Amino acid sequence: MSVLTSEWLKIRSIRSTSLIIGLSLSAVLLGFGLAVMAAGMYDSAPVDRRPSARISDLEEVVVIVPQLCMGILGTLAMTSEYVTGLIRTSLTIVPRRWPLLGAKAAVVVAAALVIGPTVVFGTYFLSRWVLGDRFSGAYTVAFLDRLPVLATVSLTVPVFALLGLGLGALLRSTPAAISITVGLVYVIPIIIGNIPEPWSERLGSLMIAALPRQITGDGNANSVYGSLLPPVAAAAVLVAYAALPLLVAAWLLRRRDV
Amino acid sequence: MVRRARGPPSRILYGVIELQHLTKRYGGTLAVDDLSFKVEPGHVTGFLGPNGAGKSTTMRLILGLDAPTSGRALVNGRAYTSLRRPMREVGALLDASAVHGGRSAYNHLLSLALTNDIGAARVAEVLAQVGLAGVARKRVGGFSLGMKQRLGIASALLGDPGVLMFDEPVNGLDPDGVRWIRDLMRSLAAEGRTVLLSSHLMSEMALTAERILIVGRGRLIAEATVAELTSRYPSLEDAYMALTAGSVQYGAAR
Ligand SMILES: Nc1ncnc2c1ncn2[C@@H]1O[C@H](COP(=O)(O)OP(=O)(O)OP(=O)(O)O)[C@@H](O)[C@H]1O
Ligand SMILES: [Mg+2]
Repeated sequence: MSVLTSEWLKIRSIRSTSLIIGLSLSAVLLGFGLAVMAAGMYDSAPVDRRPSARISDLEEVVVIVPQLCMGILGTLAMTSEYVTGLIRTSLTIVPRRWPLLGAKAAVVVAAALVIGPTVVFGTYFLSRWVLGDRFSGAYTVAFLDRLPVLATVSLTVPVFALLGLGLGALLRSTPAAISITVGLVYVIPIIIGNIPEPWSERLGSLMIAALPRQITGDGNANSVYGSLLPPVAAAAVLVAYAALPLLVAAWLLRRRDV
Repeated sequence: MVRRARGPPSRILYGVIELQHLTKRYGGTLAVDDLSFKVEPGHVTGFLGPNGAGKSTTMRLILGLDAPTSGRALVNGRAYTSLRRPMREVGALLDASAVHGGRSAYNHLLSLALTNDIGAARVAEVLAQVGLAGVARKRVGGFSLGMKQRLGIASALLGDPGVLMFDEPVNGLDPDGVRWIRDLMRSLAAEGRTVLLSSHLMSEMALTAERILIVGRGRLIAEATVAELTSRYPSLEDAYMALTAGSVQYGAAR
């Protein structure tokens, strides 16, 4: 408990935290801007072309911003201590070590649990308001029918926070941990989209962005992502992204010299 | 009036550091080699040795930051890593620059204090004690080396511990600060605390410490009182030079 209040103070008392949170929340503005642009394009299109106009789910587009930001927040929670050398003091005063990592995990997850739903639901409601029944009513689907996907997409944000923290603790290097996080979001999906089947779909089903719609049973039509996993397996994979690096890091933290 | 840190009333003020055949190897480097000694309360113990002799490594081993290859280090008869609120028993300053520059001095100290259930009142107290009360809300990144040393000493004092270890705390201090550290070390020891202090400044050490441990290439070279050494040699510096003559690894050609 006392380590938790300490970590809460640590994260609040550095400027990069508010920058990262501000950047995360700006994703709502990005989503709003995309919705306004899409509405403008739709309205200026010839009437006969409108029925075939399609739009991506904007909240699933902009969620990449808080995902990466919270991944970075998680990474920095650990690596900033290695960079400055503060980690030696931190582990001297918490000699069991794992409570330090546990408290950091709790703090970044708490932040991500606020940021993730704020961005996803904020973007959803703004887009719904801006777009109305345009794009064949993409945003007129009943809220309750969209809720499962919106909720699971929101949950990928805390997963990224823990993934970033775990990688930061494992690698003890800000650039290394952030490169891997960014690679998971941007680079690997592109590679996977370009490898032969059946591997493209198999691996595509394991990507983080592919998991929410497998968890809800909606599936990933028209995307590079696969839909091979049953809901429970997809949920397990999502949990593993958060938990595995962190557990390995906790195990190593106890054993490595500082 | 001195208010003590919140905590159990019967705390150990008297502390002992004991090394038993402590050995640490990093790859091919034997940093600490079968080191056994005891540091006892009531006086400042100076920890001397050439660059790379293993002083900092020994301190990290005592604090459980590095695991010994063999042997062990005990604090008050226990392994450091088994202590639940270690700040109340051991205070240490290894590297004064190891702070997050973006945090204020107050928040830095409070974040350390909270982990060991030490309150904000004690943070204000140690800030005043080291003379940083006026800059408590300033970002640490703007501190001079001497101010960071004071901050590091404040963090070691937070838990009002019986055992204190300082790795070259005099580095970067002005003459005023050097004298301040000397008086602080001596008064902490006079209160019955155990103080282990490493430094390369022999004349300063002669004024501060009562007992001296000299290490070279990871091994214990000498263990004596300052009085003994200065009676056998012209000065502590001469004693150090004579005793470490065979152990200097990184010296210029003479
Ligand atoms: N983490 C490490 N990995 C590898 N070698 C190390 C490590 N830490 C220390 N060493 C080596 O161990 C030896 C002892 O180093 P240490 O820093 O303990 O010396 P020191 O007595 O504190 O020296 P100085 O007076 O220069 O501070 C050196 O040869 C050093 O290179
Ligand atoms: Mg050293």
